[in-house]
Amino acid sequence: MRSARASFTSGRFRPAWAWSLSPSLLVLGGFALYPFLEVVRFASWDWSGLSPPVPVGFANYRALLMDPAFWQSLKVTLAFAGLTLPSLILLSLATALALEGQPYERPVKALLFLPGLVTVGAAAVSWYTLAVPEYGALAAFVPVPPWDREPGWALVMVVAFTLWRHLGYGVLVVSAHLKAIPPELLEAARVDGATPAQALRFVTLPLLRPAVAFLVVVGTILTLQSYVAVFLLTRGGPFGSTRVLGYFIYEVGFEQFRLGYAAAATVALLVVTLAAAYAQARALEGR
Amino acid sequence: MRHVFVGVLVLAVMLPFLWMAYAAFLPPEIVYSGDLTSGFGFSLENVRALAAEGFWERLGFSLAVSGLATVLQLLTGLPAAYALREGAPVLGVFLALLAIPGEMLIVPLYGVLQRLHLLDTPGALVLPFAASPLTVYLLYQGLKGVPWEVVEAARLDGASEGVVLRRVVLPLAYPSLVAAGVLAFAAHWNLVLYPRVMVGEAYWTLQVWISDLARRYPADWGLLSAAALLSTLPLALVFLAFERRIMETFEASLKG
Repeated sequence: MRSARASFTSGRFRPAWAWSLSPSLLVLGGFALYPFLEVVRFASWDWSGLSPPVPVGFANYRALLMDPAFWQSLKVTLAFAGLTLPSLILLSLATALALEGQPYERPVKALLFLPGLVTVGAAAVSWYTLAVPEYGALAAFVPVPPWDREPGWALVMVVAFTLWRHLGYGVLVVSAHLKAIPPELLEAARVDGATPAQALRFVTLPLLRPAVAFLVVVGTILTLQSYVAVFLLTRGGPFGSTRVLGYFIYEVGFEQFRLGYAAAATVALLVVTLAAAYAQARALEGR
Repeated sequence: MRHVFVGVLVLAVMLPFLWMAYAAFLPPEIVYSGDLTSGFGFSLENVRALAAEGFWERLGFSLAVSGLATVLQLLTGLPAAYALREGAPVLGVFLALLAIPGEMLIVPLYGVLQRLHLLDTPGALVLPFAASPLTVYLLYQGLKGVPWEVVEAARLDGASEGVVLRRVVLPLAYPSLVAAGVLAFAAHWNLVLYPRVMVGEAYWTLQVWISDLARRYPADWGLLSAAALLSTLPLALVFLAFERRIMETFEASLKG
């Protein structure tokens, strides 16, 4: 009997594949791949979406490099990623390790996953009414830092919201790898006289490195490109302190109608994302 | 120790949900007095006010477009996953497409939809989402985990590809179809900026509508919480109903 693997290695093309693949590839080609190539072309246009486009070469990129708002938002983006990523990874590790083998492991994991699925708009409304300083529901019981007025706290708020939404995913990633560790290894460490802390430090954590590497790369892409929380919670404010690149692109493109300029910013964001993901993947492999 | 940590974490994660459920039924006078500690009241006033704002029509519209996009994604995704499972050497294509940040494509998609005359039509909310690399990938992972001898036996019996796909692969893929479907629905349901940019007020989805409601009634927490709760509830219930399937499919896909 011819197995799927055999036909894969022989690489023989079967006409039935074309029928099976074409609907999805057509849609993805038209609405993902083609726009992806288009964004590079638009970046060389001065274009509002309504007016006819005027080709301007590299002028958009030059303007971008001179735009203080762009550099400011790049700084904010990196600060946001720098705060979110390590917290996400540490919290995911701690939570997955704490949950492992507990009777409540499954329901808690499902629960942690829930915020990522519920509607962003709804989540933002409930966070806002709960946590708005001075007259929010929380403020009646505990002091809430003034995140609507102070740039630093605004960023913390957006980070907290992002963590809340994505922690469940991080825990799932770590947990899936944790389950793949053969119990004999930990058993052997115990027999050799390792304390639970030592077993964790020298056996479990090193074996979790692929999970961490995966989270770092996925998390980088996620944090560099997340802006919906910003859009819903702070609108980039106060004083541009939470205007991440994604939100910057939205503002220039769809509030100022400079679509060519927004496309150039998109290309810049893609370059930053790819460079960061690549550098991290290399660093994690090389260590 | 670890129980305390998990307990605090669960509480922190649940807090916005609990508050949402509590505030949704607060009588307006408590909301406006701002004194949440004085007493508890139960009122359906907020739900009635929502209905007057046109909430249910919006909910129906969102269910329709997200549902349609999900069905299309599964319809295009299953044959693709089947071809991949059969050895079509294009897995890399889907993985590469998975890495393209969907929302960063808003600018060029705007141009594409404009040329197709789809801007400001419900089609803009459905057609670009008729296929998803994530759905394909999840379904492929699901098919990788099932015994393939059944498919080969059916083919030896002379079944055509269409019959194999419908009679054999479809039932085998059922668990991952459920999981991928729920995730696809949630992803579409949660779009905020995309519909805001591509369509006018007449075709706003529930999410856009709620963010607009928050802009118009920033202080009416009862009303906003009721909207948030009622728009979250369908998704949360579906997730909890299929929770085991979804978590298993996801974990399987993470192991690679």
